[in-house]
Amino acid sequence: MRIVIAEDTVLLREGLAGLLEDAGHEVVARVGDAQALMAVVAEHEPDLAVVDVRMPPEYSDEGMRAAAEIRQGHPGTAVLVLSQHVETRHALELVSAGGGFGYLLKHRVLDVDDFLDAARRVSEGGSALDPEVVAMLVSPPAHEDTLGELTPREQEVLALMAEGRTNAAIAKRLWLTERTVETHVRSILGKLGLPISGDDHRRVLAVLTYLRASAV
Amino acid sequence: MAKLALLQENEGVRTAPRLIARGLGLAAIALIAGALVLDWIAAEQHVPGSGSLWLYPFLVAAVSAPAVLGAPIVGRQPHNPIGWILVLGALSLAAVLAASPYVWVALYAHPGSLPGGSWAALVSSLWPAFFAWPLAVAFVFPDGRLPSPRWRPYAVFAACSVTSLVLLLVIADQLEEPFSEVPNPFPLRLPDALGFLRLLVWLAMFASLFVGAAAARTRFKRSNGVERLQMLWLAYAVMLIPLGVVCFLLWSLLVGEGGGDAVVAFLLGMEAAVAIAVGVAVTRYRLYEIDRLINRTLVYGLVTASLGLLYAVVSLLAGVAVGRGSTWVTALTVLAVAVAFGPLRSRAQAAVDWRFDRLRYEGLQRVRAFIDDVREGRREPEDVGAVLASALRDPSAELLFRLPASDTYADPLGAVVAEPADHARAVTKVEHRGQEIALLRHKRDLLDRPDLLRSVLAAASLAIEIARLRVEVRLQLAEVEESRARVVQAGYEERRRLERDLHDGAQQRLVTLGIVLRRLQRSLPREARILGPALDSAVDEIGLAIEDLRTIAAGVRPPRLDEGLAAALADLARGAPVPVDLEATHERLPVQVEAAAYFVVCEAVTNAVKHGAPSRVRVEAMVANRTLRLVVADDGVGGATVAEGTGLMGLTDRVEAQGGTLRIHSPRGAGTRIEVEIPCGS
Repeated sequence: MRIVIAEDTVLLREGLAGLLEDAGHEVVARVGDAQALMAVVAEHEPDLAVVDVRMPPEYSDEGMRAAAEIRQGHPGTAVLVLSQHVETRHALELVSAGGGFGYLLKHRVLDVDDFLDAARRVSEGGSALDPEVVAMLVSPPAHEDTLGELTPREQEVLALMAEGRTNAAIAKRLWLTERTVETHVRSILGKLGLPISGDDHRRVLAVLTYLRASAV
Repeated sequence: MAKLALLQENEGVRTAPRLIARGLGLAAIALIAGALVLDWIAAEQHVPGSGSLWLYPFLVAAVSAPAVLGAPIVGRQPHNPIGWILVLGALSLAAVLAASPYVWVALYAHPGSLPGGSWAALVSSLWPAFFAWPLAVAFVFPDGRLPSPRWRPYAVFAACSVTSLVLLLVIADQLEEPFSEVPNPFPLRLPDALGFLRLLVWLAMFASLFVGAAAARTRFKRSNGVERLQMLWLAYAVMLIPLGVVCFLLWSLLVGEGGGDAVVAFLLGMEAAVAIAVGVAVTRYRLYEIDRLINRTLVYGLVTASLGLLYAVVSLLAGVAVGRGSTWVTALTVLAVAVAFGPLRSRAQAAVDWRFDRLRYEGLQRVRAFIDDVREGRREPEDVGAVLASALRDPSAELLFRLPASDTYADPLGAVVAEPADHARAVTKVEHRGQEIALLRHKRDLLDRPDLLRSVLAAASLAIEIARLRVEVRLQLAEVEESRARVVQAGYEERRRLERDLHDGAQQRLVTLGIVLRRLQRSLPREARILGPALDSAVDEIGLAIEDLRTIAAGVRPPRLDEGLAAALADLARGAPVPVDLEATHERLPVQVEAAAYFVVCEAVTNAVKHGAPSRVRVEAMVANRTLRLVVADDGVGGATVAEGTGLMGLTDRVEAQGGTLRIHSPRGAGTRIEVEIPCGS
């Protein structure tokens, strides 16, 4: 995978680059702000851009805005946004707008395998949503009526689905067989009245759209 | 010091005229003093006409007033004839007045003791000296010139009349009363053929007096500004001159004598009055107000006359009813008079004001009506500026209240006025108990009516002071509220900065450290893999540290506040130890309102959980009518109060800093309901 990294803290940027390079990816550019990011994306057309949300000059949501711009202007480049804290406003919009986008809290990087998996998933057109954001979406006050009908196990599966994980990953995570997971998924989609689809990514999007719409 | 030096220098230059004037003045006073001594000597011998002790003050006043006032005027303005007219007038008057006692002593009391008794009798006959100098003043006051060139013939006429009369008296066959028996020592006599001249000159003399008074009145009417104020005094004083003549004539006709002591006293009083009017007008015209004096005279004259009439009528009627001489009648009339005094006085005052000074009368009426309205709560004290404008008939008049703390001025709405001076308008200070409390900006014409300005402002001063205090308190309160809002705002900003520092600083470093350890772990050679679990737990510790940090940062300021109140409150509800039912607006509000609302709810929920032991908490945050309404209600034990240390105190501060209100309804045993309203202008 050809990757660009946009992160203003140099040590962290180098650490991230090292981590990705250790995993066999090629980091083609490392930049410190959104403007430079747009330039290197246009220049290299990478497979993935790993982007910090807060960057100079305002340190507000430059990374998020750059991510939206990249998704629009360079469909071939997936974006994985890293944030210091949960900020759902744009993240949910971007994740549910289509594949190729991920939003994780920065310290998820320390779970290296998970992080690399998310990076790979996103670059392949999938999605990744931080568990904390998912927790907000599926928390009882938001969906007391509908999600209450799901069994605890189904709720667990739903959360992992919303994070963007494939059936295989969910099965591995929950120590279940893929078939069992599939059954759960079918049941969940049925209860929520969502179309059953074989495509993991489409399914995730449908679930996210559903959660987001009813979480308002 | 510079001014003083200049003054002394001036005085040095003007020494000669000043010394002369002072000498003349002293001579006049010496003459009148001598006259009193001679009169006393004559009275010892019971000379008729002498020994009228009550006239002494009049004699002294009539001479010393012009003498004392004239000398300093000469010193200050040697080229202005007014000063000279005064001292010379004093001297001539003193000579004529002193002549009579001289004659009494020289011819009657101790004949032969003093020389020239008959010459003194001649001097004593020259009564035009009474009128000559006041007439001159009437023509040329205050600048030493005639009101206009048109007046020159009249002035010449008056001068000729007085001179001719003096001449006629000198060459008269008979001296004036009371010395008609004394033979005229002057050798020349008026030829009998010219006897008709006598009547003509007399008439001319009297006409001159009226002309002089008219000259002064004319100048008064035409003048403005300072001159008008100066003329104001004289214009009233000179009216006494023809009045004196009329009295003199009336007395002569009625009593037959050529003027008794009473007429002399009146004339002497007139002399003194004119001199005092001139002196005051020249030196300190702003200090006294003759208008007021006349006003008072009229008022008390009216009251006295009315009471006298009342006394007469009541005693007459009561006398008819009860019988004359009864003590009951006296008691009744006295009672009637006493009861009538108060109302009569205020009526008379109002009538006189209304008749002679409509402007001030109505101005004061408006101010008083306003003060009554303020007392009854019908109007606000701050309206006093508008009332003054209408009372002074100056729509441009503007009242500025003084703020002693900052030494600035504020308008009735509390806006601070940086530059109270105004080139187009005059500025008058308003004082209350010796302290400057306000400034009135008004049109310059009003300076010509200092009495009007002063009395209207004095009548309004209490209202002005009340209004000023209210404006001051409002301004101070606004200042304190602003400063509290700033402090609270600074608190929010500090929290934001701290949150940033935690997230972008410490947390980033911990993540970086974790990545370093992870890379180290993954690059360990096979024989060192034993270190793996240790590194895992190190990274886990780092993960926990990050969690702690994020919890702290969220407590300092939830980052989701950037996404709006609803998002932040949703997180709060999720993290609460008891179920929270949340209903929150998704509308975006001003950031400081959102911050205040979040922390208010946060503290209220924390407080509820801590003290109320509720099973559920309900939180509402809805906007209606540009007001954010927060409700935090629980089903706990209730009994919460705003006291120190309960946490509700700080809540009140937060809410009031945003100009909001907070109500707590917390009956014991029935839960606590906190309602907050914060204006949000959206």
